[in-house]
Amino acid sequence: MAAVGISVAGIAVSVYLTVLHYAGVVPACPASGPVNCEAVLSSSYAVVAGSSIPTSALGIAWFAVSVALWTLPAGRLVLAWSAVGLLGVLYLVFIEIDRLGAICLWCTAVHVLVVALVLIAVTVRR
Amino acid sequence: MTARKVARTRRSQPMRKPVAGTPGWVAPAAVLAVVALVVATLLVIRWYTTPAPKPLSNDTTAIVVAQVTGLPASEFDSVGQGTANNLVKPVSGTALTGVSGKPEVLYIGAEYCPFCAAERWPLIVALSRFGTFSGLQTTSSSSTDVYPNTPTFTFRAAAYTSQYIDFRAVETSDRDQKPLQSPSSAEQQLWSKYDPGGSIPFVDFGNRYVLTGATYSPDLLGGASWQAISGELKDPNSAQAKAIVGSANLFTAAICKATANQPAAVCSSATIQDLEKKLG
Repeated sequence: MAAVGISVAGIAVSVYLTVLHYAGVVPACPASGPVNCEAVLSSSYAVVAGSSIPTSALGIAWFAVSVALWTLPAGRLVLAWSAVGLLGVLYLVFIEIDRLGAICLWCTAVHVLVVALVLIAVTVRR
Repeated sequence: MTARKVARTRRSQPMRKPVAGTPGWVAPAAVLAVVALVVATLLVIRWYTTPAPKPLSNDTTAIVVAQVTGLPASEFDSVGQGTANNLVKPVSGTALTGVSGKPEVLYIGAEYCPFCAAERWPLIVALSRFGTFSGLQTTSSSSTDVYPNTPTFTFRAAAYTSQYIDFRAVETSDRDQKPLQSPSSAEQQLWSKYDPGGSIPFVDFGNRYVLTGATYSPDLLGGASWQAISGELKDPNSAQAKAIVGSANLFTAAICKATANQPAAVCSSATIQDLEKKLG
């Protein structure tokens, strides 16, 4: 139940970021120093390579599948899906720290939710 | 029971109790540890060991500058506005003229600033259609700011000659944010008037148009060498060309407005004429 709640929260934050992307608005967040949502969300990594689809849309899809998997008897699929999410988070954190030199708080919130789901998955599916 | 029998019996017993299973906290703790380790490693690499790119030698710089300033007209026409955001806004004020009385392009930026690093590329490309640069040197933005080590050039020792416009550049700080050059009081007034927040880069095109901010994201240049970027400019379909040449076309249109469309060879092209209409 907690996993479904976290997944729904992930969808909510991802939808928020996606709506702001299409509206061309930067979320409320510091815009100077290492914490800088604007630098991250206006970078070329804020969209899926070669498209205009915001990366946050992938977040919506990932969390939506998570909701489905946690409400169905999906077995090891939940663990595999969580691993995919964790790899995605590590890649995005690499981009933020190494390539952009900036951290987006809203993105970090999503990352924390993914890691929380991974922790639940490895705990429950042992 | 003899001592030998006792020892044999002890040896046949298991040395320890069988392990019941890995405790439940081990797996999540391991995941957390891996995540923390990866993030900590990235932070250490990023903030403590990322070296600043070594500026190019004079010979290599000359080759790169020649490529950047020698793009063919067909390249500009192929790219058009490209992916550049049109941040060039019209202003109304007394025409800005330089020391020789020609319309002046005033640039105020800083070497540490990644957005300035990005904008110098199209500014050099655009200005080179009206005149000639000398003394351009390669550098990169700050290693500790966002978009670290964005490769670029510096105007700190550059000279520019043109029969159509004057160009004045002020690099207020070096890449370590130490003071470098200062705008005159008149330049400071213009900057404050059109850019009250004092953000950089600030470019005034003859007091007909001004630009504040970056027309594309500096991360497009991140991790690339000066040679690689200048090479990409020749391909109108490359992401760098669409951003840099697209921005240069916007700047060219703004300059053409200030020079009354001189020279015609540059300003009368359909691409520039279209962009002039967009600038308003």
